[in-house]
Amino acid sequence: MNNTQQGQATRLMAISKLIDDRPDEAIFQIDRRLFSDPDVFEAELRYIFEATWNFIGLESQISKPNDFVTTNIGRHPILLMRGTDGKIGAFLNTCRHRGTIVCPFKQGRQKFHVCRYHGWAYDSNGRNVSITEEASGQYPRSFSNENHDLIPVARLGSYRGFIFASLSPDVPPIDDFLGDARTFLDLIVDQSDTGEVEFVPGASTYTFDGNWKLQFENGLDYYHFSTTHSSYVDILKKRNVSAGPEAGFTSEPEDEQEGQGSFSFDYGHAVNWSIKRTQLYGRPLGVDPARLEAVRQRVGNARAKWMLRQRNLTIFPNLQVIDILSAQVRTWRPVAPDKTEMVSHCLAPVGESTAARTLRIRNYEDFFNASGLASSDDNVMYEFCQTGYEATTAGPTQGYLRGAAGVSRGNSVHTRELGINPREWSFGAPSFGGEANFYPGYREWRRLMERAAQEAKV
Amino acid sequence: MSSNASVLVDARRVAEAILFREARLLDHGNWSEWVAMYREDAVYWVPAWLDEYKTTQDPTTQVSLLYHASRRGLEERIARIESRKSITALPLPRTVHQISNLEARETGPCEISCQSVFAVHVYDPRVSKEHARYGSYQHTLTLDGGEWKIARKIITLANDNVATVLDFYSI
Repeated sequence: MNNTQQGQATRLMAISKLIDDRPDEAIFQIDRRLFSDPDVFEAELRYIFEATWNFIGLESQISKPNDFVTTNIGRHPILLMRGTDGKIGAFLNTCRHRGTIVCPFKQGRQKFHVCRYHGWAYDSNGRNVSITEEASGQYPRSFSNENHDLIPVARLGSYRGFIFASLSPDVPPIDDFLGDARTFLDLIVDQSDTGEVEFVPGASTYTFDGNWKLQFENGLDYYHFSTTHSSYVDILKKRNVSAGPEAGFTSEPEDEQEGQGSFSFDYGHAVNWSIKRTQLYGRPLGVDPARLEAVRQRVGNARAKWMLRQRNLTIFPNLQVIDILSAQVRTWRPVAPDKTEMVSHCLAPVGESTAARTLRIRNYEDFFNASGLASSDDNVMYEFCQTGYEATTAGPTQGYLRGAAGVSRGNSVHTRELGINPREWSFGAPSFGGEANFYPGYREWRRLMERAAQEAKV
Repeated sequence: MSSNASVLVDARRVAEAILFREARLLDHGNWSEWVAMYREDAVYWVPAWLDEYKTTQDPTTQVSLLYHASRRGLEERIARIESRKSITALPLPRTVHQISNLEARETGPCEISCQSVFAVHVYDPRVSKEHARYGSYQHTLTLDGGEWKIARKIITLANDNVATVLDFYSI
């Protein structure tokens, strides 16, 4: 091992230790530099985002041959497309010739993508079909022996219409990666009679001047809701006084114990959920009792009951799927230690009624994004946190111990009815809002960073 | 009489007065007078972008950035800000609305349709940062009990990659 390797390994190991996780001593602390240090940020892009599975889109976004969307994995621009043969492919969106972005558009349908710089062309399966004036190019023989196709991602996988890709081949199969978190994708997909989900047209992109992990944490944080969103809660309570059946309110079974809980899974995933007798908002599935009954017949009582519960799912490192008054798919792209770009879509089961769809859209606009009445408050909070984290001499925050004394393993009434085996679970009063469900993400973060440190030595 | 009256309407002058007043009330944070300029059944719509060129066309089947089918939605947004519970308004950004390129015409008895472009300069004293929001307005104005009111406003936001917060006062 040379000095540079040793230095890199030591540096990455030191970064991994910024998370102090000692469950036996009930210690979980995160150094504030995790949110602001440029070296940490650089390491996260390379060894987390660019080294594991990322959600990159829905199959229904590219439902027809030659459909494409563009996105990112970490810093890498990605071109996701369906080939002429119907096969889905994900490629680095960079021309083999001079590195130019091959497709500069958000989405569309094209059989060929021609680089605008020198005209090299690729088909929708990523194959190079033309090198401009190759014959007169006086290329060495080695050139024609080289492959000129777009570079595919190292791994591509899909679960029930959700497409994931990894730039590193060193990842578990997608089903193993998702594990029992898949059940919480099922709870959304199975709301559709045909088992399909789609994005409602009209995506939203916004930024906040804060670290991406503030969004990661917030999506698993029920503790903040009544404080941060109190102005929104006021509006909801006022509206609910006169809400009719069109608002889609549903109820829990009489014998159900109220509470708030979470499940933690391997590879960084976690889900938050609540069982509440008095709902703050209705659900699209609740608008149409006949359809709800049909879903119940299809998936059974237990799953139908869970479909009507608020569930905030985090698939580490870049995806949150929120199913409450509407459903949201949001992904983040870390831009800088203190800047994050969010892309947000309204997620919907294919085939729901017009009334359910319109309620879903209105509720989504109401709650989410920079223009929504709840998420906009979150965005400002992230910026307040980011500024506060500059107080590095204040030591670690006290934001990771709520629920630490109640973390459980094994089965519970809730795991049994869902038929899942989470790594850990928590359950408490409706006002619980535990923070131990942030652990899986941070443990995966540390695992990937330690792995990178080990590999740097070789 | 009514047809004569409509001939006498100076659509441009009416539109100018309404649009400039609306801009001033927004910049001064005079929300109650601002929202009173809207009819109770007024539609307030900020479409989202579908791709580089097209905005959403149907709020019932597509997602908008903001969509309120009546004045109540705007009143809720005002109440949220005035409650001093929303951190987005603590403090409120300072804004300057600039409106130009106004074209107005009478599109029916007691109805004026107009389009204009806007730039809203937003300064956020919380973080000492500034943004510009720009795009175009389409207003439909109707004469309501002797007073011109906003019946419909469509805001096409050209720069829709939004920093942190987007609300009625910043577009």
